[in-house]
Amino acid sequence: MSLWVDQYRPRTLDELSYHKSLSERLKSLAASGDFPHMLFYGPSGAGKKTRISCTLRQLFGAGVEKLKIDQRIFLTPSKRKMEINIVQSNYHIEITPSEAGNYDRLVIQEIIKEIAQTQQVDLSAKQRFKVVIINEADSLSRDAQAALRRTMEKYMSNMRIILCANSTSRLIAPIRSRCLLIRVAAPNSEEMSHVLDNVARRAGFTLPEEAAQKIVDDSGGNMRKAILVLEALKMQSPDLNGPLSIAKPDWETYCHKVADMIIAEQSPAQVMAVRSKLYELLSHCIPPTVILKTVAERVVDKVDESLKADVMHWAAFYEVRMRVGSKKIFHLEAWVVKVMSLYKHFFYDIDMSAFD
Amino acid sequence: MPPATAVKKVTGKSGDLRMFFGGSKPSASSQKSNGSSTAVARSGSSQTLKPTQSQKSAAVAISDDDEPPKPRSLKKSVNALAIDDSDDEAPLKPAPKPKAAPSQAAPSKKRKPAVIESSDDDDITPPPKKQAVTSQANKAKPRPSTASKAKKTDNDGDFDMKASDSSSEDEFVDDDDNEDKPRKPSKKKKLPPPKKASPRKPAADKAKASTSEQGPKPAPKANWAAKAAKLAKGPAAQGSKPIPDGDPNALAGLAFVFTGELTAFAREEAIDMAKRFGGRVVLQPSSKTDYVVLGEDAGPKKMEAIKKHKLKTLDEDGFLKLIATRKVKDSDLDEKTRKKMEKERAEMKKAVKEMEQREKAEQSTSKAGKGIDPKTQLWTTRYAPQNLKEICGNKAPVERLEQWLMDWQGSYKAGFKKPGKNMMNVYRAVLISGPPGIGKTTSAHLCAKLAGYTPIELNASDTRSKKLVENGMNINNSSLDGYIKGTQGGGSGDIPLTDRTCLIMDEVDGMSAGDRGGIGALNAMIKKTKIPIICIANDRNSQKMKPLYSTTFNLSFQKPQVNSVRSRIMTIIFKEGLKIPANVVDQLITGAQSDIRQVLNMLSTWKLSNQSMTFDEGKDMVKMNEKYHILSPFDITSKVLGPYLFSSTARETLGEKMEYYFQDHSFVPLFIQENYLKPTPSRLKNFDGVERQLKELELMDAAASSISDGDLVDALIHGPEQHWSLMPLHAVCSTIRPASSMYGAGAHYGTGNPISFPQWLGQNSKQNKLMRQLGDVQIRMRLKVSGDKNEIRQSYIPALFPHIVKPLVDEGAEAVDDVIQRLDDYFLSKEEWDTIIELGVGANQDEQVLKKITSQAKSAFTRKYNAAEHPIPFHKATDLGKAPKKLAAGGPAPDIEDAFEVDDEVPDDADDDKGKEDQDDVTKDSLIKMPKRKKAAAAGATAAKGKATKPKKA
Repeated sequence: MSLWVDQYRPRTLDELSYHKSLSERLKSLAASGDFPHMLFYGPSGAGKKTRISCTLRQLFGAGVEKLKIDQRIFLTPSKRKMEINIVQSNYHIEITPSEAGNYDRLVIQEIIKEIAQTQQVDLSAKQRFKVVIINEADSLSRDAQAALRRTMEKYMSNMRIILCANSTSRLIAPIRSRCLLIRVAAPNSEEMSHVLDNVARRAGFTLPEEAAQKIVDDSGGNMRKAILVLEALKMQSPDLNGPLSIAKPDWETYCHKVADMIIAEQSPAQVMAVRSKLYELLSHCIPPTVILKTVAERVVDKVDESLKADVMHWAAFYEVRMRVGSKKIFHLEAWVVKVMSLYKHFFYDIDMSAFD
Repeated sequence: MPPATAVKKVTGKSGDLRMFFGGSKPSASSQKSNGSSTAVARSGSSQTLKPTQSQKSAAVAISDDDEPPKPRSLKKSVNALAIDDSDDEAPLKPAPKPKAAPSQAAPSKKRKPAVIESSDDDDITPPPKKQAVTSQANKAKPRPSTASKAKKTDNDGDFDMKASDSSSEDEFVDDDDNEDKPRKPSKKKKLPPPKKASPRKPAADKAKASTSEQGPKPAPKANWAAKAAKLAKGPAAQGSKPIPDGDPNALAGLAFVFTGELTAFAREEAIDMAKRFGGRVVLQPSSKTDYVVLGEDAGPKKMEAIKKHKLKTLDEDGFLKLIATRKVKDSDLDEKTRKKMEKERAEMKKAVKEMEQREKAEQSTSKAGKGIDPKTQLWTTRYAPQNLKEICGNKAPVERLEQWLMDWQGSYKAGFKKPGKNMMNVYRAVLISGPPGIGKTTSAHLCAKLAGYTPIELNASDTRSKKLVENGMNINNSSLDGYIKGTQGGGSGDIPLTDRTCLIMDEVDGMSAGDRGGIGALNAMIKKTKIPIICIANDRNSQKMKPLYSTTFNLSFQKPQVNSVRSRIMTIIFKEGLKIPANVVDQLITGAQSDIRQVLNMLSTWKLSNQSMTFDEGKDMVKMNEKYHILSPFDITSKVLGPYLFSSTARETLGEKMEYYFQDHSFVPLFIQENYLKPTPSRLKNFDGVERQLKELELMDAAASSISDGDLVDALIHGPEQHWSLMPLHAVCSTIRPASSMYGAGAHYGTGNPISFPQWLGQNSKQNKLMRQLGDVQIRMRLKVSGDKNEIRQSYIPALFPHIVKPLVDEGAEAVDDVIQRLDDYFLSKEEWDTIIELGVGANQDEQVLKKITSQAKSAFTRKYNAAEHPIPFHKATDLGKAPKKLAAGGPAPDIEDAFEVDDEVPDDADDDKGKEDQDDVTKDSLIKMPKRKKAAAAGATAAKGKATKPKKA
């Protein structure tokens, strides 16, 4: 009784219904025996992980789906204990070094080297190498990426690395040049509705065209989200006919509330109210960039045409600062104040040249 | 003298500026020579000068001639200590006195000190000349523009107290209105000639003067553009008004309250000024307050008090005028004050006599070969109090201490059962606590001596570890003889010990690492002691003092009031032949925070080079000896965001402002960020309505973006490259700039929104905690779900919510089975269920959700969950380490591999069933069956295995 998204996840490259050519290439790569390091990148919900696991299955057979999870403890130089979760099968290992925060370099150095230095023990394995999957590769620190460089070359005979990232922009060039870059683009709406239909069929019902369209529009290219929404909708109104209202996740509603507050009133007290709401979102593990994006989109929806560009400009401006800086709330708040000021000035039709 | 007047008169009438140059030179020099000769000559000199400046009012000058002697003699009597006619400073003081004829003498009198003072300043002739010229030039009606210009440059070029003192007040007022005040830039150009003329008349009539000076102020209020110009110009008003050169006792006997912000002076300066001229400054207005000096944005509470008590109010100019013109005659002072002063003087003389006698006695003994010559002693030793009367402040505690010592033998006999009238006699020891330099040790010694005890002092220079305290004091020895012998090594030297011995443990809080166990041993000793023990510490609240709480009586010494220290210090000063007026002494005492020892040390150093001290010298001295005190971040924040630090009159430099940041560079930026929205920005005070709102948002924007900048700098400082040299930049970006736009009243002055502790710290640790828990959820779900943490939070938790939480809300206990089933599907445990609840925001916020679930449902859920076995994806590494211990109680330890086998089967099953799944056989999906199989597997496994996993889940 898993959620549909997990239940009907494709397991082989053949089952993947979109980006057929990509699947073909992966298949031939797996067959060639000369498998390179790879970097999968694309937006979340596009199917990167699914594709990776399908590729692994292609490489090693069903054995890779026999997963087990291991926890390793590291002592940081400051004697703090770090726990790292390792997901592994006999043929591959999957780690998320960003779990260790600033110490991700240690994880890379210790675990990956250790794996790289041992050979494949299972003689019946289809390939002579093992695969290391590094999740959230774009949040690797520069040090960690540098630590990866040499390892990738030196232990090529024993190991292949598959990096999985949302964007390549944060990866250093030497890493990118050592990998085969595979872009997994978000599916287009036809591909999405096809997948939705497929899921619906397997779940034993037919999905009306309109509902599918609505879900696709709402999901914004995120396949995972679309299927989750589909299931939620099915639970809500089993026949999926008539007007459907797609329930927003809790945090999104909350972000919209923040946006509404910004529009409703512009005063120090309101900024403080917004600040506490932002803290609430941040502390509940909503990434600051997501908050900024969601709130900004909502604000843009509500303000006058001539302000839209400015609002987005400043959102972009402060998003970069958030990535560079350490205390995200400072930048979020600076954006909120900026937007409030812009809005109020616009409201009273005051020249805004001072803001350029 | 008459000839001089004549000459001056002539030159004055000629009205030529050049003539003034020529004419004034001899006058200055002659005045100078006069000043440095005899006292008689000086009284003449002050008169000669007067005509120099007030050529017009020759008659006035003549009338003045008769006056000076009287006020001077008066002065002498008032200021018995400070007066010395041969002194350089003296002419300054008596000079203003002639102002007895207040109305007309005012302008002339003010001029006088100008020259005298400047000649005091530096003994070269040119400067006095310049002074004289400029002041005269101002007088010259026909050339107002050049005159005022000259004046101004003079002012700007060398602006300090003296320079400002040296020019007359009304000239300055003039200058303010015309040049320095930025408010009405357009007006001033035209106005000078009439203005020049006006000040003299108003000066003659005080009331008029004040109105004429206030007159211009309301005008700009209506003029918005002018106001903007003023704002743009910034704090130009600062220092635009000179401190008038009034009688040093001009404000004697008056109590002032300052409220609001003055235009030309920072608050502290104004308070200093009031004190300098002998006034008292109190913080809150009461019926006893004489004047309230109102600035802009006066506090509403103080306004209320003013109304309530019907207090007189002054504005800034009125205050300056008061200083300049008020004079205190003996007859002005009421009977009481005069008597009081006389009494004080008599007492002081008596004390000095006593001291001298004592010293003589000591000297005679020292000549006999014993003792030390008091001249060679430190002042602190030399003037240490010799009897209880001489101890400054803390009368009550000292008396109690003495009483306790007197009673000690009696209470010892009574077995410390009778509390006595002070409730002290049940204690064998007392603990004196209080800040340094207020006479704790002195009092202890003195009391001991007076009560007939021989004090033995152990202080931080002696090692006082447990062993040494025990052995040295020999406290386990029941006989006193043992104690006596024991102390030979314990630091008591060769003092003969009797039962009239008293132990003073000084600096108890200084028993630190080296004195391990010392406090405990001391405490043990106190419990058994047969002699009184006096412990002395600075900080009673320190953790180390805890053991002593129950065994000692607490005597806390407070910082003595300034008045109680003053007379003692004045006596010493008199004895030493120093000439320091009372208000300077007050200043020293306040500055040293009533630390008598420090004041004495400062004075003894000062005496090496000087015989007298002015107010400003005193101030510098205090500043030099200032104890470095650390402010709490709360204080720093209210100071930085408060209305004064950045106001136009503030004197702090950028560096001094940054110093606040460096007091606590990690906390202060957080505090500023938390609180910068709270004050009502002072920069808004000239805006109204919409303008105000917009301006406020602009200021907020500037502050917020600067804070954002600050964070980027912070990232560079604390990042991998550690650019610590950027800290000053961080100080500016994170603290100074935001505060400079947002500063104003309200951050802590109002009651509504006090400075709050930064939320960031709490929120950040909450975020980290939830992030870690989310990580646990993610890794447990990992076998089924490919998403990372963020995906879990953003997509799965909202999606799982209707399946694992909603049913409990809607259906209550009936839904428990389904929920548990769903949790097992994703390898989630009860812990993770709690996390998922906790991660909700808005409508899904944990408290709200938990409220909706009935307690039956909750308990049923917990009960059922704990009753059954649950699949787990892995063992926590930390648990594996502990495993053997836990299992020892539960039965035979299962092989860890076994435990994993169960998990390994899971994907295996899924794999096997995949074929069916491909055929769309949903009902037979492996994932639906899987948990049952698992249970079967679990049942098949040994019972011990179940037990092994169980404690973890519970």
